[in-house]
Amino acid sequence: MIKKVAAKPLSWLERIFFIDFVRGLKITLKNAFRKTITTHYPYEKITPPKRFRGFFAHKVVDGTEPQPAFQEWVNRYNIQVEYGKSRCVVCLRCKRACPVPQLFEIEGKKLPNGKRVVSVFNMNMLLCTYCGFCVDACPVDCLYQTDIHETASYTRKDAILTLEILEQIGRDWQMRRENEPDRIWIDDEQRMKLWYENDVKLPKPEGV
Amino acid sequence: MHSFWVDLLVAIIKILVILGIALGIGAFLTWVERKVAAHIQRRPGPMVVGWHGLLQPLADGVKLLTKEDLFPRYGDKFLYHLAIILALVPATLVFSVVPFGPEFEIFGYKVKPILSDVNVGLLLVFALGSMAVYAVALAGWASNSKYPLIASMRKAGVLVSYEVVITFAVMGPIILAGTLSTYEIVEKQIEQKLWYIWLQPIAFVVYMFAALAEMGRVPFDVQEAEAELVTGFTVEYGGMKFGLFPLVEWYIEGLTLSAIAVVLFFGGWSPINIPFVGFVDPLFFLGPLSPFVWFILKTTALFLFILWLHWTLPRYRIDQITQNAWKIMLPLTLFNIVITAVLAPIVWR
Repeated sequence: MIKKVAAKPLSWLERIFFIDFVRGLKITLKNAFRKTITTHYPYEKITPPKRFRGFFAHKVVDGTEPQPAFQEWVNRYNIQVEYGKSRCVVCLRCKRACPVPQLFEIEGKKLPNGKRVVSVFNMNMLLCTYCGFCVDACPVDCLYQTDIHETASYTRKDAILTLEILEQIGRDWQMRRENEPDRIWIDDEQRMKLWYENDVKLPKPEGV
Repeated sequence: MHSFWVDLLVAIIKILVILGIALGIGAFLTWVERKVAAHIQRRPGPMVVGWHGLLQPLADGVKLLTKEDLFPRYGDKFLYHLAIILALVPATLVFSVVPFGPEFEIFGYKVKPILSDVNVGLLLVFALGSMAVYAVALAGWASNSKYPLIASMRKAGVLVSYEVVITFAVMGPIILAGTLSTYEIVEKQIEQKLWYIWLQPIAFVVYMFAALAEMGRVPFDVQEAEAELVTGFTVEYGGMKFGLFPLVEWYIEGLTLSAIAVVLFFGGWSPINIPFVGFVDPLFFLGPLSPFVWFILKTTALFLFILWLHWTLPRYRIDQITQNAWKIMLPLTLFNIVITAVLAPIVWR
């Protein structure tokens, strides 16, 4: 069988009457009168999927921690658990997993009752590559990435996420999207509306 | 003596009206171009400033005017500024021989809506059109930078090739009309009940190609070639000086060449033509305004067609452009001239 690798060369009739020009013009004309597919960004925003890798956050202690892992780590490091505060156990695994470790600045402190708690957790987002290795490394499902992607700031100082900001983003995200089913872009109704031609019907696998 | 002052007043009014139209519409056409380009690519284009971004040209103008005025080190200041003037003035001057409509009478004076009905109008158009090559070459040379220089050499090559072609292409309509005056060419077409496109399709196609090349539009935009030459010969220009070049090249020249094409091939201000039979005017209810509306409609349609081409076609290589000009277009036009010159006297005289 002969494999076709290119279109046939144009015949002289096609050359004289600019047939391929006309074909191209037809396509652009057709597209010119179709509906636009953009969103008007500062006025309309698309919610990213739940798995989006944006700004970082700390999940707070609210009873949904992965058990028994969380309790094991708390016991191991003798951590003071406080409801509504970061789940961080100061294991520094995120810093170890990071390709640019200097962007983390993590410190713990000892409380008068002998227990420990995280006191400093700064992330310099100017150095971050948003690779998500630290999220994979976190043993207690504390550090993770949210859908916040508008990261521009006026000063370098604003690009540093402190513990308070991380907890704040975490509380906000848990309130908004914690219970949302995990989904990918194809399921997103907004995107379906914009890219309706991507609405492909996949054949059902047999025997299911 | 009295009539001299009246003539002067009429001329000044005409100049003001034409300049207002040329520069005002020229700026407004940037919005049109952006909208057409956007919708072809399924974007909405400018939407924020004014209704559907209608005031965007004003915002752009303010932005360009407030830009820092930079000048390249070791550049030639005199030539640098001369290039802007040489680009703007000839392109605007072409409007002086574009007839917008038939002669009409106002307060007892007969007024032709054309600034100067010289009997070598078309010659003037193409003489002024060739001046563009000086502007481009000087802009490239005076900038003292390699990208503008390459771009200006390319553009000069394209212009020199297509000036020859466009001049030969318009010979066909000139032979049919027997005159070089733009006003009289239109009158002849109305008299002969024939748009010249019906007899000169080859000339029209060649004219459109050459017009695209002169405007520096796709598929002949090698002097811009964003991917290779940044933005061509305007690299070292800043602010409004930078804004003037595309304004002149893409919009004012685009308008004049569309208008001249309408005059030559589409019977200027005449309504829809059925060859050798007569004219059908669906806009008869506009009365004496109808010819002006027809002229504007045709010019707009042609300009939109050029925009449509621009946002459809890919770019030719520089050697393919000149090859097309000398090896295909020029023989075609010569063939066309011979055929026309043989047949025209048999049919009309």
